[in-house]
Amino acid sequence: MMQGPAGPLRDAIATAPVLNIGGVSKRFGTTTVLQDCSLDIAEGEVVTLLGPSGCGKTTLLRCIAGFWDADDGTIAIDGRDMAPVPVNRRPVGVVFQSYALFPHMTVAQNVGYALRMGGVARQKAREKVNAALETVSLTGFEGRYPAQLSGGQQQRVAIARVLVMEPRVLLLDEPFNALDAKLRGTMQVELRQLIKTLGLTSIFVTHDQEEALTMSDRIAVMRAGRIEQVASPDEIFDRPATAYVADFIGTSNFWDAKARDGQVALPDGQSVATHLDGAVRVMARPHNLRLMPPEKGRWRGTVTFHRNVGPLIEYHVETPGGATIRVATMRQERSRPIADRAEVSIAVIAPASCAVYPDA
Amino acid sequence: MKAFRKTSLGDALGIGLIFAVAIFSLVLLVAPSIIVVIISFDTRAYVSFPPEGFTVKWYAEVFKQGELVEAMLNSLQVGITVTLLCILLGVPTALACVRGRFRGTTALSLFVLVPHMVPGIVLGVAVLFAGALVGVSPSIWLQSISITVFILAVMVRTVQSRLMRLDASLEEAAANLRATPFNSLRTVTFPLLLPAILAGAVFTFVEGFDNLSVAIFTHGFRDRPLPVELLSLVQFTSSPLVAAVSGVQIVLAIVALVLVSMSIGLDNVNE
Amino acid sequence: MTDATLSQGHAGPGFGERLADALLSGRGIWPAVPAILVLMIVAVIPFAILLSLGFSDIQISRGDIVSQTFSLTHLANALSDPLYWITFQRSLSLALTTTALCILFGYPVAYLFLTGGTWTKRLILILTIAPLLTSGIVRTYAWLVILGGRGVVNQTLMGLGLIDQPLRIMNTHWAVLIGMVQIHLPVMILPLIAVMSRHDRQVVEAAENLGASRLGTLRTVILPLSVPGIGTGAALVFTLSYTTFVVPQLLGGGNYLNAATMIYEQVVFSLEWSKGSVTSLLLMVTCLMVLVAIALVTNHFTRWTKGRVG
Repeated sequence: MMQGPAGPLRDAIATAPVLNIGGVSKRFGTTTVLQDCSLDIAEGEVVTLLGPSGCGKTTLLRCIAGFWDADDGTIAIDGRDMAPVPVNRRPVGVVFQSYALFPHMTVAQNVGYALRMGGVARQKAREKVNAALETVSLTGFEGRYPAQLSGGQQQRVAIARVLVMEPRVLLLDEPFNALDAKLRGTMQVELRQLIKTLGLTSIFVTHDQEEALTMSDRIAVMRAGRIEQVASPDEIFDRPATAYVADFIGTSNFWDAKARDGQVALPDGQSVATHLDGAVRVMARPHNLRLMPPEKGRWRGTVTFHRNVGPLIEYHVETPGGATIRVATMRQERSRPIADRAEVSIAVIAPASCAVYPDA
Repeated sequence: MKAFRKTSLGDALGIGLIFAVAIFSLVLLVAPSIIVVIISFDTRAYVSFPPEGFTVKWYAEVFKQGELVEAMLNSLQVGITVTLLCILLGVPTALACVRGRFRGTTALSLFVLVPHMVPGIVLGVAVLFAGALVGVSPSIWLQSISITVFILAVMVRTVQSRLMRLDASLEEAAANLRATPFNSLRTVTFPLLLPAILAGAVFTFVEGFDNLSVAIFTHGFRDRPLPVELLSLVQFTSSPLVAAVSGVQIVLAIVALVLVSMSIGLDNVNE
Repeated sequence: MTDATLSQGHAGPGFGERLADALLSGRGIWPAVPAILVLMIVAVIPFAILLSLGFSDIQISRGDIVSQTFSLTHLANALSDPLYWITFQRSLSLALTTTALCILFGYPVAYLFLTGGTWTKRLILILTIAPLLTSGIVRTYAWLVILGGRGVVNQTLMGLGLIDQPLRIMNTHWAVLIGMVQIHLPVMILPLIAVMSRHDRQVVEAAENLGASRLGTLRTVILPLSVPGIGTGAALVFTLSYTTFVVPQLLGGGNYLNAATMIYEQVVFSLEWSKGSVTSLLLMVTCLMVLVAIALVTNHFTRWTKGRVG
């Protein structure tokens, strides 16, 4: 159905970003909601804006869509500045958190809405609607009303509805929030496959890091109106640029330490290299730590709690300083988990994988 | 109702008393109307209870009395005019109050409410005086416009509350899907507001038809509305004729009730 | 690419549409302007004129207003006229009694609604809303029938042999009171229901779980929480019964004077417009004073709704 250009033309376009966000700021009264945000998105890329509520991710999305105007900076699509372009002319398609399906229209009327507004001839419109419904596997649902559809079906109608516009950028505002946990997983994988097949440039907004890690080519972690780090999921997970990002994605253990002569001493006796000096914060992921009998190591503690996280067992170890360190190990078939109140010692598996951050 | 746990006698008596009063009040609400309807079928030419015989001649008589019929037609016209005006003026106002992004949205809501908060008779008197000063004498049009102003708040409030419960992202979605503001209004907002507009129309029509407090000062000499006509009729007639007119009005009220419950549902009447 | 494809069959918006778009897109006040204009012309300005008529001495010569001077004579005359005081007192006491009785009879209905099942709720709504859709005259007439010399009450009592002569209920203060209460009952019940329905059912369940009897729950939990509803209902009932014209006129006989009937008489019959103006203004002001009092009382009993202090 939807094909981008092929061959050399595609390669040429692939180098120029589809979406340019440059230095965008937005204020509401005295509160600054977005602060100097910049991001370039390439053709066919899937980027997620990730952060807690209030970080500005939805605001940025709405500025791209045109519902709100940015106070500073530019937003350009295919090199064309979007500032003078009103909402109903921007080449973007928005999928809302509530899906915003028109309750008084059938599925076919919902999907065909943009075509009707654009004055497309009836026959042609019908063809496009059918094609869109087929793409989301909802052929046969034309005559149903939104109230008669399940959550997953409603989401697909919302997607089909914007697909008919052949938008340059797809904007999705927490589209999985309304679905229950089990359905969420399936829909995420399905949606990513659909987007990749169609080659659609997409921006997701979410506070769910699992979702971000599943869906994205790149993740933009946002905090208090700023973009802290933009990188691939692997890089964000393995090399978080700041303590905030490290804390937000995956589980982390933090403790204070002192850097001297380019090295930071770790509690178990090893050390990790750093360019920082003085007071620092060290971060280690739970799966980078392991538990040993107490007499085998210097870093001692007491197990207070354990739980299963997928294939791992996560132990909470209370250390003399009062800090609780989380250690994750693979479940072993035939051995029992370490009991609560057991004394243990902790060792770092790969010191180089610890991250060192300036003391904030 | 859940099963009672340890209920003391005092508790049961107290609650029982409350329920008794409630039922008494409910009967009180409806009994007078029932009695009136029963009387309207009385064969005798004077009002008395219990009635004797059964006849519909009084209802027939209602439609034969020229003045009564004319009064009913006048009230019908006023009701329709008031409703149309309230829709034309009130719906855009509700839109401005809810979707508007200017500073005075709350002020606007309150402003529309002002004529309704003032006693009807004061409004009627004020309009009468003002009209006299500029040379506008009481007429069916003065009556209509003054009742419109009086009851506009109800239409605005009904549409407003429905509008506020409408997902705002529906209109944003329409805009994203290439709709101009006008088209978005026409294809998305308006159809979804229709039930509220219908309910508001029922209330404004009833007010236009039944209003006495404003109408009594602003109606034209020749265009007496039904309530005014009824007022003199009640004071000077003692036949079941008035009961029959009441019966007709009660039927109208039931129709209105059904319409309202079909459009926005009875529970939503409470704004 | 996208826009070109979409705009192929599109003829372009006409003038009317473009105008509508312009008026709507700014999300400004434009759509409300017609209503504002009408309200100004038909309500605000007439009120101003009413005010001025009450406070000025108007000389009319040959049908035209020759001079208009600010004067408090009318107001002074009214305030020194004992008839005014009696009339307003009567209106006030009638309205306050009506309000109190409406609370007394209306609250149980709201409680029944709260604790009742779907059909009970529906029935209550029907019985409460339907009367509001009939005219005041129809409802008042019913009482004429019931309380009259040969009305239901008398016929029943005579039929039962309890009295020999028909009681004179009509054209008395009692008749007016009974009529007022019954007619304004729905206006008290509806706001009560609205407020009470909005409360979390679980609060009531919590009280029961903590051992309160049903009366106790009513007294300590439901009643305090429903005070705003009582306030709203009382304000509405008071305003209506204070300013109602039909009920006193019909049920009180031609000589029963309350503020509303007095205005009617002054404006329509004796054509003393300045007097009528002053009476109307006095009516409004006194009404407002009582409403403020009701608001203050309600506020006092709902201190818990105030947000965090400091």
